[in-house]
This record gives sequence, C-alpha cells and structure tokens, in this order.
Amino acid sequence: MATKQVRYEALVKALHADLYRYGYWLCHDKHIAEDLVQETFLRAWRALDSLKDEKAAKSWLITILRRENARRFERKRFDMSEYEEATISDVKATSSEQEIENYWLREKIAKMPEEYREPLVLQVIGGFSGEEIAGILSLNKNTVMTRLFRARNQLKEAVDDEPKLRGLHNG
Amino acid sequence: MDDLKFRRSMLAEPNNRDDAIKAAIKSDSAKQKFSQELDTLEHKIAQAMHIPVPEDLANKLILRQTFASHQQQKRKTRVRLSMAASVALVMGLTVNFMMFSNTYKNLGDYAIAHVNYEASHFSNNDQPRVTLASLNEKMATFKGSFDSTLGNLIFADYCRFNGSNSLHLVFQGQSSPVNIFILPDDKDIKFVANFANDKLQGRSLNFNHSNIIVVGDKNEPIKQWQERVSDHITWSI
Repeated sequence: MATKQVRYEALVKALHADLYRYGYWLCHDKHIAEDLVQETFLRAWRALDSLKDEKAAKSWLITILRRENARRFERKRFDMSEYEEATISDVKATSSEQEIENYWLREKIAKMPEEYREPLVLQVIGGFSGEEIAGILSLNKNTVMTRLFRARNQLKEAVDDEPKLRGLHNG
Repeated sequence: MDDLKFRRSMLAEPNNRDDAIKAAIKSDSAKQKFSQELDTLEHKIAQAMHIPVPEDLANKLILRQTFASHQQQKRKTRVRLSMAASVALVMGLTVNFMMFSNTYKNLGDYAIAHVNYEASHFSNNDQPRVTLASLNEKMATFKGSFDSTLGNLIFADYCRFNGSNSLHLVFQGQSSPVNIFILPDDKDIKFVANFANDKLQGRSLNFNHSNIIVVGDKNEPIKQWQERVSDHITWSI
C-alpha cells in the first residue's frame, strides 16, 4: 500500500503541472482545468496498478484527461468552441513586456482551431514526438505532422505581422 | 533539400533536426536565419503555453486521494473483518463438530474399541481386588447397587465412554477378562442389543436411565453374564 502511495505522489509531483497546462489548453478555464486534473488523478489512483511502464505515465494520464474532458461535454453541453476573451486572465496591468507578449501569444494559441492546437500543446508541453501524438489522438502520423506545421506556421505569420499592431495597443 | 520540404519539417518538429536538416542550415544563410527565427518563436510559444499552475495543486491532489483511499480502506477493513469473523465461525463449528460429535456409529462399536484399547491393562490372571462395598459406592452415581460382585471383580472405575461418564467393570472370565460398562442412557448414540467383531462379542441391556453393556470374547457366555447383572442389580429409582 505504501509503495502505491509513493508512486502516486511521485506521479502527481512530476506530472501535475504539465497535465494542468494541457487541461487548460483544452478548456481555457483555470477552474475547469483544475477539476479535470483532479478527476484525472483520482481515476489514475484507482487504476494505478494497471500502469506497468512508468515511461508511459504521461501519455496514460493525458489519455485519461482527454476522456474526462470529453465526458464533461456529455454531461453538459457548454458552448466551449467559442473562445471567450474574459477567460484569459493572467495578465495584470503591472506585467512586463515578456508577459504582455505571452498574453498576446496565448490569445493567438487559444483562437487557433482545436485540431491544430492540441497536437501543438502535446508537442510543446508534453514533449511528445509526432508518432506519440498520433497515438494519443488516434490520428495517422502524416496528419499530425501537417497539423503541427500549420499550427506553427499560423503562429509564425501572426508573430511576423503583429509587432506594429501590438505596439499600437500598448502605445 | 528543397525549401518547402525544409520549412515543413522545421515547422512541424523544430526540435527534431536530422543530419539533412543540419546540413541544409549550414549551407544556406537564409535557412539559417529561418531556423533562428523559429528558435525564437519556439521559445515564445513554450513560454506562452507554460501558464502558471496553482501552487497548491499537487498538495490538493495528494490530499484528495488520501481521503478517497481512506474511505476505501475503511470499507475494505470492514469487509475483511467480517470475512475473518465468518472464517473463525466456520472453523469453530468444524472443530466443535469434530471434537464432540460421535465418532462411533453405535454403542457396540464404541464398547469394542474401548475394550481393545484397554486390553493390555488387564489380564485374566489378575487377582480380584474390588470389594462389593467399593463397587456399590461407585454405582451410587448411577443410582444402582449390586447385592453381589457377580464374579471375580478385577477392576472397577469410572471411564469416559463416548463423552459420557461410565463405570467400567472388569471381571475374570473363562479365558479372558469380561468387561461391563454401566453408562447413562445417551440418546446421541444408537443403542444396539447385540454386537460382535471377529474376536469379541457383546450385548447391551437398557434399563430406565442406564445402559449396561457386557463385552467378552467369543467363548464367554455373555448372555449369562447379562442375566446375572440384571438379577443382582437394584435401582434406587
């Protein structure tokens, strides 16, 4: 029993941040993200014995979280596809240039179609390879690579175009 | 490597640079610039995506799990306790059944087993040692008395007879000792009037609240012994 507890705590400490961020990018809401992570880890605890390979832990947890997120839509049909500006609330008036830039980029990421955003989040936060992402999302690898390319390309174009406009906003 | 393929590959997996990509970057200054821009972009994306995580989230997760598993544990403990209790009960009943149930089917089987078990203690040549007075003293327990010792009485004492207290009398017989058991009428064990095995034979007689069993070898006139017992015994009630 003690070893299960130890495993669980190690898992929580190592992966809760990535999982929370991933959850956040799925639902754009801090509180829902937190609930998702809680549900995910509670389910993970119950099924912890079935996790044989610790290396697979991250993708295992992400799969649970995706399922939890999908279940949320089964229960209640929120219209979450429409991104609401009010839900992004990390930025204070006192924020540094870096934070303003983060905020701006976050908006861009949040507005991106989900099918592009999800592989990108898995790649950047999860550190998964194209093949692993394909496995988690049940897509083929070429589709994933195309989506990653388009996602990053959109962001790159936005960044390349935006500085002037951003200057106007701030100035 | 053509430019489109290079861009596609870089944008899809900026951190996964194989030798061909590295070579392309080295050989072309435009590609080098593109790669540097992409590094900057990648850094920005990573920073943007790394939204702050609530500080106490890890502790909350552990706390919630601890509560959940505590509840589970309590339920499990209860189930285990009740299972242990059931097992103990069944064991108790089994032991009880084995220790105190009748191993022998009837009076005769037990009487023969008893005689065989104690056969080595008695010899037909033993001198009579028991007087009528001490015999009747012992018989008082069974609320009966003899007006004679019936023969040469070698031994008279209480014996366990299939879980009930009995009086075991051993008499000198013609060739081997004759055993007489006086025991309370026990409903738990089946009464048989006649019984025998290859060497021994016996007869039982049922009185009001006692059984008297006579066991001897095949040469012994058991019926006579039995008649002698019933002639000489008097029951006080």
